[in-house]
Amino acid sequence: MAPGASAAMTIELGHFSLILAFAMATVSAMGGLLLWRRGERLAQVLAQASILQFVLVALAFLAVVQAFMTSDFSLKLAAENSHSLKPMIFKISGVWGNHEGSMLLWILILVLFGALVAAFGRRLPADLKNLVLGTQSLLTAAFTGFTVLTSNPFLRLANPPLEGGDLNPVLQDIGLAIHPPLLYAGYVGFSICFSFAIAALVSGRVDQAWARWVRPWAMLSWMFLTLGIAMGSYWAYYELGWGGWWFWDPVENASFMPWLAGTALLHSALVMEKRNALKIWTIFLSIITFSLSLLGTFLVRSGILTSVHTFASDPTRGIVILSILAVLIGGAFLLFAMRSPALRQGGLFAPISREGALILNNLFLATAVGAVLVGTLYPLLLDALAGTSISVGAPFFNLTFGVLMAPLLLVLPFGPLLAWKRADLVAVGQRLIGTAALTIFLTILISALGGVSFSLVPLGLLLGFWVVFGSVAELVERARIGRIPLRESIRRLVGLPRSIWSTAMGHLGLGLTVLGIVSVSAWESELVTTLNPGQTADVAGYTIAFDSFETEQGPNYVADTGRFTVTGPGQGTRQLEAERRTYVATGAPTTEAAISTYGLSQLYLQLGEPLDDTHVVRIWHKPYILLIWIGALVMAAAGALSLTDRRLRVGAPARARRTAAEPAE
Amino acid sequence: MFFWSIAIAVTAIACAALLYAGRTRAVNATAAGPVDAHSHFRQLLNEIDQDRATGKLGEAEAEAAKAELAREMVRQRQEDAGPKRDLGRVPTLAGVALTALLAVSLYAFLGRPDLPGQPLAARPEAAARTMTLDDAVKRIEQALQENPADLRGWTVIAPAYLSQGRYSDAVAAYRHVLELGGASPAVETRLAEALLFEANGEGSDEALALLEKAAAGDASDPQPRLYLAAEMTRLGRFEEAARYWQEAIDLAQGDEPWLAAARQGLSVAQNDGEDIGETDQQAMIGQMVAGLAARLEQQGGSIEEWTQLVRAYLVLGDKDKAQAAYDDAVRAYPAAFDRGDLDSLALGGGLTLNGDKP
Repeated sequence: MAPGASAAMTIELGHFSLILAFAMATVSAMGGLLLWRRGERLAQVLAQASILQFVLVALAFLAVVQAFMTSDFSLKLAAENSHSLKPMIFKISGVWGNHEGSMLLWILILVLFGALVAAFGRRLPADLKNLVLGTQSLLTAAFTGFTVLTSNPFLRLANPPLEGGDLNPVLQDIGLAIHPPLLYAGYVGFSICFSFAIAALVSGRVDQAWARWVRPWAMLSWMFLTLGIAMGSYWAYYELGWGGWWFWDPVENASFMPWLAGTALLHSALVMEKRNALKIWTIFLSIITFSLSLLGTFLVRSGILTSVHTFASDPTRGIVILSILAVLIGGAFLLFAMRSPALRQGGLFAPISREGALILNNLFLATAVGAVLVGTLYPLLLDALAGTSISVGAPFFNLTFGVLMAPLLLVLPFGPLLAWKRADLVAVGQRLIGTAALTIFLTILISALGGVSFSLVPLGLLLGFWVVFGSVAELVERARIGRIPLRESIRRLVGLPRSIWSTAMGHLGLGLTVLGIVSVSAWESELVTTLNPGQTADVAGYTIAFDSFETEQGPNYVADTGRFTVTGPGQGTRQLEAERRTYVATGAPTTEAAISTYGLSQLYLQLGEPLDDTHVVRIWHKPYILLIWIGALVMAAAGALSLTDRRLRVGAPARARRTAAEPAE
Repeated sequence: MFFWSIAIAVTAIACAALLYAGRTRAVNATAAGPVDAHSHFRQLLNEIDQDRATGKLGEAEAEAAKAELAREMVRQRQEDAGPKRDLGRVPTLAGVALTALLAVSLYAFLGRPDLPGQPLAARPEAAARTMTLDDAVKRIEQALQENPADLRGWTVIAPAYLSQGRYSDAVAAYRHVLELGGASPAVETRLAEALLFEANGEGSDEALALLEKAAAGDASDPQPRLYLAAEMTRLGRFEEAARYWQEAIDLAQGDEPWLAAARQGLSVAQNDGEDIGETDQQAMIGQMVAGLAARLEQQGGSIEEWTQLVRAYLVLGDKDKAQAAYDDAVRAYPAAFDRGDLDSLALGGGLTLNGDKP
């Protein structure tokens, strides 16, 4: 038959592929979890099945993408969520701009990680591999089943309309095209750690090798999650028009909790890998991190808790997803409760040691997760159960979170300098004296110049600089800069294992973010004023002249445009445009703030509502705000660097171990 | 059937891949086994010795660590030595068969293999939509230049001219139709219409003659009578006007959009040109909608009438009735081409689109 005939069946072939993947996952889950002792041959079949599941789901996903790209409105999802006049990029991102499509993307990433384990896990012991792939298949089966039976993206229209329903201009943003896939990759990646934890609990075998296999997956997911959160934060900052970059709202917290737990997991897995200790805790963290990811994707976003109405409008869907979460998370914790006492704790422990510092890190991070969890869920639960509406706002989070983070940041620079097993705190303290001196000097200098009195600001600066210089100090220390010839130092620096570099970079990124946060909180200038064309305003050394105000016709909106000329301190002038748009179709207003970058600082200009015959203009100067996101990028880059270290390279654990055993430690 | 052969081929390939993976003997089955574990323990042992040498571990602690390591090794060896059964052929075959069976039966339950995809570019109605009236007219004009005796070409292009407001071209085109032997009362009415429009509503003798001929030629068509009645009213010949109004009203089905105007015209003509006031507009709309709905339900009607009904319900704010009318209309006109305006109206009015039910 002609190729046209098979093109005409793309959608149904995609549907069939998804169902075949579901069937394969279901059978793989049964096989993997029930027959896991059956050795290598089963492992090979399961690995093949994992790769096939990815291929099949990818085919299904491509079929939907193709229907959106060609505006095939015989696919109900496309008819409801696409439009033939959208630009191509937004036709594609429109695939996951809705419930059914985002489920499909979620599953695609889930099976991708499963296939990666199958492909790169050739040297995993067969028992472990059977259990890991079996658990991964169980997750795939549960969520694919949910999708196919209650949120099927492949429903068809026998008599398709000529045009699709959605041309919502507000959703047509490049941020929405990239943000969800990154965030999902982060969330879903932790499913691998979850599967490894279940495998460890079922088989009862947990050792250092286990930690070495888990860590790269945790690192990869953590990296994506870092990027996803940073991207979401920046998007909210420039798009919402209020100049805020973090709002502590439930959706943000939902992504932040797995990040905190994942960060703890990275560190505890390190202890387990090096010292064969913290086994039960690491497994617990693996389970809790993925559980928080599930909570983040489904419980909060689906509106089950936030709104009783969403729940009622489709009770089947809500109840099914709740049951899946209850069975998966509840089952995992039940298994944990039953099996963890049987796991053997190992390793000898001294409080002053690298592992001791890492435990301190975990203690603070875990408490922070708890604080955010309570602050997020308590009002939602109260609203759902008692109908009482309370609001837990930024002050609660800033206070509890700040109190928990301060000591963590304070001890952070000590960690990498402490030796494993038994360390000399005094010696490490001596090595950090230079760092401390530099930090205190800079803090006093900046506080004096910035006119800050004794408050939380110098403390914040102190912590930020302490972490930044502390992370650099580790490199300086290892390269023996200043104590041996410079050429030799550089040679040592280049020769350092990448894990050392990535540790320093990760901590440096955190320090930069802290500095950005402190700087914006302390020195942000805000001016809300009424301006008319021809008038000027002064903020933080910048002079802003309101040149003109016009109402202009956009392609599908009417824009009130204000044109401004900004004169920066010794930097010439720049033309800025801030808009208030009203979209014709929906009547929805949006603000397009004018943002201008000066070095690491930004000037943020928002045109407010017209007031009689003048205009409300909000102007913010945000000193060093870019450090917040640059820090996040540095952290993610550190994760990527760490993944290239041979110690973590999956598939070559035996040789890597030898390289990693450095005499310096 | 073609779909199913592809689907079964996909299933067969997937099953074959699984069976192949289960059939081949593991090449490096033992590579990750005891050898690795051995070197792993040896390394830990070396580390303990090293720590003891550098003073990180005391004598007693080192002994305890070594003992723990030995216990760990024994445990591992016991586990490895336990009875191991490899996966037999039967579970593999059963699993693969179960997979195929589950997939095919679930798809048979959920899938719509009968529905082909319909990318917008490949749909004839979309092609028709993208061709503007101007393009179409230009293409027909070209064809007519080459072959001026094409009766069908003139028949098609004449109403297009009329709707574009090119009245002289329309007059010329209708004259060609008459000359080429396409005369009919309908064509005569249209030509008269074009003449009337061309003269800004002032009827000529030719137009009047054509309308009278058409009225005589088709006793069931109210249109020439309406034009005649209006023209007679304009000329002040109220007696004739009243006769033509009455004839047109007698021919009406009862819910024509012009009926109200005709009745008013009749009363004006009967009163020798005096307007006697307006009827209750709102009540008339309600009556019209009810009448239209009843007729469409019993006898069906054109898509324009259905669209009019759905729009009327939406304007009146009755969304349920609008949805019901829309669903009926989709049943009557399953092809989307016929329903272009109706679908956009439904989307704009927030109605649920068609075809959702199996």
